[in-house]
Amino acid sequence: MFSRAVRPAVRAGSAAVTRTAPPNAANFATLREIEGRLKSIKNIEKITNTMKIVASTRLTRAQKAMDESRAYGKTSNTVFEQAETKPLEDSKTLFVVASSDKGLCGGIHSGLTKATRRLLAEYPNADIVILGEKAKAQLSRFASDKILLSFANVCKDIPTFADAQAVADQISLLPTDYSSVKVIYNSFINAQSYEATTLEAYSEEAITQSANISAFEIDDEALASLREYSLANNLFWAMAEGHACEISARRNAMENASKNAGEMINKFQILYNRQRQAAITGELVEIITGATASEDM
Amino acid sequence: MSSFRFARSALRARPSLFSAPVQRRGYAEAVADKIKLSLTLPHQTIYRSTGVTQVNIPAASGDMGVLANHVPSIEQLRPGLVEIVEEGGATKQYFLSGGFAVVQPDSQLSINAVEGYPLEDFSADAIRNQVAEAQKIASGSGSEQDIAEAKIELEVLETLQALVK
Repeated sequence: MFSRAVRPAVRAGSAAVTRTAPPNAANFATLREIEGRLKSIKNIEKITNTMKIVASTRLTRAQKAMDESRAYGKTSNTVFEQAETKPLEDSKTLFVVASSDKGLCGGIHSGLTKATRRLLAEYPNADIVILGEKAKAQLSRFASDKILLSFANVCKDIPTFADAQAVADQISLLPTDYSSVKVIYNSFINAQSYEATTLEAYSEEAITQSANISAFEIDDEALASLREYSLANNLFWAMAEGHACEISARRNAMENASKNAGEMINKFQILYNRQRQAAITGELVEIITGATASEDM
Repeated sequence: MSSFRFARSALRARPSLFSAPVQRRGYAEAVADKIKLSLTLPHQTIYRSTGVTQVNIPAASGDMGVLANHVPSIEQLRPGLVEIVEEGGATKQYFLSGGFAVVQPDSQLSINAVEGYPLEDFSADAIRNQVAEAQKIASGSGSEQDIAEAKIELEVLETLQALVK
């Protein structure tokens, strides 16, 4: 009974072995196989190369948008730096993870997930809001109970302020009042490197209790608007910069993939040629041997 | 010896003579100071820490002019005209759809707005058409949200219409 169950597995295993047999074991079958592999690798190279070109054309635009959004966000956050705003002690924190829906861009999403994981260890009672499917899939593996909201289809193209406003609106509708909203995003260092960083937006209470706020004249009514506005600004900054990082990482990933495919193509081409020659030589030997044998007769 | 001492007292007197006008702060000197303006939109940076003489902003509590060494304050902006007097005395006018202006303690002014364009770029005809459209929606029987949005749009457009001749 047991042996019968095992036999098909053995047969399947032996089939796999013959497939991955060393290249010099057989001649004609592997020649075809190598040709097939070569063709498919060539196609893959074409695809990755096209993706790279698309990413590089999008990169300049994304980078420009990122520069503008960075200036905008920094201008908006100067006031909290000057007022020395800090989150309140022992209060709820909300993490907003600015990721996106698409993969094939290196460690962009897993970097964000790791950063979130580290921060979760620091703030165990924090809640999470996620932008983008990739980070959602990764984070729901170990913190699914903490995820309150998730958005798909954001950060697909260069984000607009309206996108950020819509997200900020949904966040402000959440029942809990968070004294600090930390936006986790990839900050762009240069074309090769990026780093998961946080931006912070504060609650009204945290703003009014900041150390240096007495230096400013402010209307109490304006405070609520300021809070929502600065949250939207931070989200916009994070989304724009995260988008630029993603595009640049995709460009790099696709460049590496094309390079690797090129190397593989070279290797397989040489292997293919060598085998072809060997096969021809073998045939020639057979013909000549046959001819000399029939001459002798 | 005594003449030497006399000369020295004269030397001492002279710097105080020179420093006298500096201590008296007149309007002219206050204006000579510059305020560092950062005027940013989500998609564009119009001014990046540029020294300007004066900025007039439409705050929610009333229009105000900001010179150097203004009291630090946080002001919400209405839709309206921001007037910037640059160093040479040239003025630039931008229409902003609302946002925040923060006067920082070190004579910096940061203005964040959602949308903003130079006033001369607006076309009076386009505004008139859009006002008509917004009025139609505002008085129509759309959802509550649509009507509220149209009313806000109308408020912005009417302010703009009054400014663009």
